[in-house]
Amino acid sequence: MQQQRLLEVWGDTVDSRHLLGAIGLGVGIAVPVYLFAEWGFAQLTDGDAVGRSYALVTGLAACIVAAVIAANLFKPKRVVTIGAAAAGGREDAMDAIEAELGPLGNPDELPAAALAEVKELGLYDDLLAQHRKNQARQEAAR
Amino acid sequence: MIDTLLEPTLWALGMALVGTIVFALIGLVSGTDETATIAPLTLLVILLGVPPAGVFAFFMASIAAKHITHAIPTTLLGIPGDTMAAPLLRDAQMLRELGVPHIALRKAISGGVIAAVIAVPMAVFFAWVLTPFSEAISAVAPWLFLAAALLIAVLSKGRWAALIALIPFVLVVVGLQNFAVGALGKGLSISFFLGIAIGPLILDLFLASSPAGRAGLKRDAPRSFELAADVRTWKGRMPNPMRVLDRTQLGGTAGAAVISSATFVFSPVAMTVLMGELFGGRIKNGYRRLTTMMAVKNGTTESTYIAETLIPLIAIGLPLSPMAAGPANPLFNAPPVFTINAETGETNNLHDMLGPWEFLVFGLAAVLIALIITYPFAMTQAHKAAAWIMKKVSHEAIIGAFAGLIAVICLYEGGVVALLVAISIGLVGGLLNRMFHMHTGVQFMGYYVAVLTVPAVTALFA
Repeated sequence: MQQQRLLEVWGDTVDSRHLLGAIGLGVGIAVPVYLFAEWGFAQLTDGDAVGRSYALVTGLAACIVAAVIAANLFKPKRVVTIGAAAAGGREDAMDAIEAELGPLGNPDELPAAALAEVKELGLYDDLLAQHRKNQARQEAAR
Repeated sequence: MIDTLLEPTLWALGMALVGTIVFALIGLVSGTDETATIAPLTLLVILLGVPPAGVFAFFMASIAAKHITHAIPTTLLGIPGDTMAAPLLRDAQMLRELGVPHIALRKAISGGVIAAVIAVPMAVFFAWVLTPFSEAISAVAPWLFLAAALLIAVLSKGRWAALIALIPFVLVVVGLQNFAVGALGKGLSISFFLGIAIGPLILDLFLASSPAGRAGLKRDAPRSFELAADVRTWKGRMPNPMRVLDRTQLGGTAGAAVISSATFVFSPVAMTVLMGELFGGRIKNGYRRLTTMMAVKNGTTESTYIAETLIPLIAIGLPLSPMAAGPANPLFNAPPVFTINAETGETNNLHDMLGPWEFLVFGLAAVLIALIITYPFAMTQAHKAAAWIMKKVSHEAIIGAFAGLIAVICLYEGGVVALLVAISIGLVGGLLNRMFHMHTGVQFMGYYVAVLTVPAVTALFA
């Protein structure tokens, strides 16, 4: 992967030459296939409108073929890391969230169903610790 | 009697299945805009000559399925699955930081399931209430389109800029349409829709080919995405949305679905934000507020989409909602199969071909098929699917396929002239979108103002 050719197009990074290649494949395969199919079906159906619809499908099938070829030739330019479950860093995350959203609240005040959910997720202890920390902070400020 | 019902039913079921599978997969690919994907494929289904019931079921299953699977990139990867997912993004990110993105996903798609099932009958009911007024509505349609375009523009992020930019945009459409009529002897519509839908992509491609624009697109490193670890917490084989959500969340989602089913002229994104605040904003406990927001907001994306399609389709026959002007557009206007006469406002589309009962039954069946397939899939396979797409399918391949798709469909509609029109409108629309936040919904309304309101205005002065 050539770093200096990376561009952000339509929300993701692409290699400019690979992009050109993929578009070339898409248009270069689909358009001739469509034009040929249009001509061919017109011969077969005597210019019936249905023939043009079939040509359209043939052209679109060609688009998919082009996409499969392009996907095989050009690999994604993304870095994907599959994260481990959050551990340790949760307190910082909670502080950041509370700064924006307001207090996450006392988990013991949750209705039964939500309480069970929080416990099952292993969030209960963290939420309680965070709540106690906030309470202590409020006490100190008083 | 049985025979006349059997055939449309089989078509509806079959096409619903096709729509579900295709759009469950497309939904996984992050950033695939609804208008850019659902509109062209629905158009294709129509042009292929699928009967009305099949077309309708295909569309309904497609939107329901896509809205379930697009929650996967939104919650697990933190990138919006499509335009509608944007309002969910921040809440989802906070849950991700808490280390429970799978909860965000479970709440979101369970809310979607509940809302979809409620929205279909509610929308049919509201359409039935409106139907007696349909002639009056049609008579003032040219002016309604203008009003709706203005309203949607002001409600968009672009505000006054989007409103004022409607004038040059409409004139560009009028000019290009006249050019097409002069060259081909007929007006174009599909090429305009496609141009608008993929405007942002066309703009990026133009920028990439100019030295100055290229500098703005350059990146030093590939984008990095972090996929949260996969944790599964519910028991049993088949997850039940009624049990994934607690009572408050169920109530909020249902309430939002009912309200959003009635308000069909508003921007879906605006409705999503509004409903989230109305039903989740006052919950004090932060964790509960976040999870409720996920259910209510994703539910609203489903219900607005369904209602904004069904109400104009059943009651009026003209695309008088942001949704109908965007992704659902081909159901109203897909010449030569479905048509709207620009001068008289006369319609020959799904509105005239299916009755309210058929809309209700086929719509509900299609939505249920989509949900039954995608919901358990998203609940169990979300992580694997997201990882596969991110690692295997390059963005280049997707863009390349789109380029081919646009070329072929435009050539089909009006040869090289249509292709040039689509590129021109795409560039102008893409620029207006990027610079002034005049989104594609506003632009679709602008197209209708150009073909319906402008002739009415000129007639006044003639």
